[in-house]
Amino acid sequence: MDQATAQVTANGVIAQNLTGNGPMPSRAGVGLKPEHYRDILDASPDIGWFEIHAENYMGDGGPPHAYLTAVRERYPLSLHGVGLSIGGAGPLDKNHLARLKALVDRYQPALFSEHLAWSSHDTVYLNDLLPLPYMEETLATVCAHIDEVQEALQCQMLLENPSTYVAFAETSMSEVEFLREVVRRTGCGLLLDVSNVFVQATNHGFSASDYLDSFPAEHVGEIHLGGHAEDSDDDGEALLIDDHGRGVADSVWALYSRALSRTGPKPTLIEWDNDVPSWPVLFAEAKRADAVIADRRSNRVRVSA
Amino acid sequence: MIPFSDIERDFAWAVLDGEASVPGPLVGKSGRATSGKTVTRSFAVYQNNVYASLIDALASRFPVTARLVGEEFFQAMARIYIGCEPPRSAVLLRYGTSFPDFVVQFSPAGSVPYLADVARLEWAWHAAYHSADATQLTLAELTEAGPDAEDITISLHPSLGVVRAPFPVVTIWQISGREGKDEPTQLPDGGEDALVVRPKLDVEVRRLPEGGAVFVLALKGGATLQEAASSAMQEAPAFDLKANLAGLITSGAIVSVR
Amino acid sequence: MTAHTKKISGLAIGCSFAAALGMAASSQSTTAADGVEKCYGVAKAGENDCAAGKGTSCAGTSKIDYQGNAWKLVPKGTCETMELPDTRKGSLEAVDRDLPPA
Repeated sequence: MDQATAQVTANGVIAQNLTGNGPMPSRAGVGLKPEHYRDILDASPDIGWFEIHAENYMGDGGPPHAYLTAVRERYPLSLHGVGLSIGGAGPLDKNHLARLKALVDRYQPALFSEHLAWSSHDTVYLNDLLPLPYMEETLATVCAHIDEVQEALQCQMLLENPSTYVAFAETSMSEVEFLREVVRRTGCGLLLDVSNVFVQATNHGFSASDYLDSFPAEHVGEIHLGGHAEDSDDDGEALLIDDHGRGVADSVWALYSRALSRTGPKPTLIEWDNDVPSWPVLFAEAKRADAVIADRRSNRVRVSA
Repeated sequence: MIPFSDIERDFAWAVLDGEASVPGPLVGKSGRATSGKTVTRSFAVYQNNVYASLIDALASRFPVTARLVGEEFFQAMARIYIGCEPPRSAVLLRYGTSFPDFVVQFSPAGSVPYLADVARLEWAWHAAYHSADATQLTLAELTEAGPDAEDITISLHPSLGVVRAPFPVVTIWQISGREGKDEPTQLPDGGEDALVVRPKLDVEVRRLPEGGAVFVLALKGGATLQEAASSAMQEAPAFDLKANLAGLITSGAIVSVR
Repeated sequence: MTAHTKKISGLAIGCSFAAALGMAASSQSTTAADGVEKCYGVAKAGENDCAAGKGTSCAGTSKIDYQGNAWKLVPKGTCETMELPDTRKGSLEAVDRDLPPA
């Protein structure tokens, strides 16, 4: 896979146009939820773009496709896969790749992303993003899988850093080192989930700021922000769960600002998948991200002036 | 060095098992190695994610089934189903097709004999929702196409499904699907057959008259109108072809006639 | 089937089709308004309109404890209010036969 499909315009208003399907603005977007179809189509709210989970649109027809078609006529789209199992030991599901390709052809998304995680073992699909050890063997497998995806979809993909709750004794490199090497070998881009960084830093006891500061910011094509829940582990220490079930925490907003200072303005998704709020609440959260982006832009102008 | 495929297998097994101990080579906070025990709560997040998300998926796919037995019972029943028949595809909207058959076999639900029939009706509803689209014939097009033909073949909408039940499944589904307080209800005698179809965006459930199920299923199987009508008459001598045809037409279930 | 009977039944079908079209045309204006729940009437169960099934999620969940033991649970929902004609009451008692070994 060559790397030429990505046209990097770092810090520009228009982000990388990864799939050649039109521009993705460096603004806030939100996940498209059936609960909001009518709000969106009735009022055409001023929002940058929408993201969908690819698997939810793999039915043959019906309301999901009808509404998505109507939304796509008005807004740029990001296609986010949750079931490809890129981090899995076994081969990718060719049928699933074909289904993704069909969605890319039909809806012409500006971005396609997937996770550094696995969800299928043998023929069983576990419906969760499960963790993998970071070592030479898994690095080679993940890179081979990403090559295959980019070949099949004929576009660059973004790989997202995960939330994890356990780590492996087999791990021999840091997550950032792992991601950096994946980018070098495959030419893929990265989806930086700032909330996942915060969740992992708390769960595994490292510094979120250090993680962000070492992240290969020049390869970030999209950012995710989502809410998390607080629990505790066996030692009574904080265990955060990336549940996308509430607004983004203040500490994560602060990290987001820090991340933007390195990446420049990027398309930023508000993820709210559980206990989905009313449209105005979700919209307000997106506006808050837009404000941070605008703030970052004006800071940069002042600094460079 | 343990190969990742082994790690993945042990992890997947422990997640699905639910009771199994944490798989071997995990480490807890600040990198200290654990013998499995001290990351139990952390590992349980994964077990919980898998089961909770799949139970929620089933509950929203079978909402009336869940109301009939109550949330607690439904969740416990769904949990066992998931353990027995986990998803085989990342396309989660196809998950649950065998749930009604599981309900039939599930003896604690045996005191609600119509539960599996309601589940079958709900699955037909779900399948119709996601089925392929097709444009139904208008009355004018039908008038032009059909009446003079001697041996008509009718193509039905791809979303169309028929659920035959020895219990009044449509009535139960209707009553229990309503919001509000549940008044004691005397159910009608006998079974009901349901027609499920999504002509445009809304899924519709209709009660089929006598012989209607045989008639529609025969048409769906490619039988001519004549063949379908005679199969229906064999089962139900009082089968009313006119009324059944009119019902199919008003349901928006007919997409072509030749 | 002889040519004769085929022709007759074919004619019958044609007539039925025309008559059905007439019925459909006259019922189209009234069915929805009347809300008739007779055969081929539309049945709507309120909850189903938007419940096409919860889809995928790339998030975890903080909801825990779906661990009830179904073998000891009793269905406790709207089934309790439904009475079948031959008095096979919906459900009030746990079925304790045919249980798998614990």
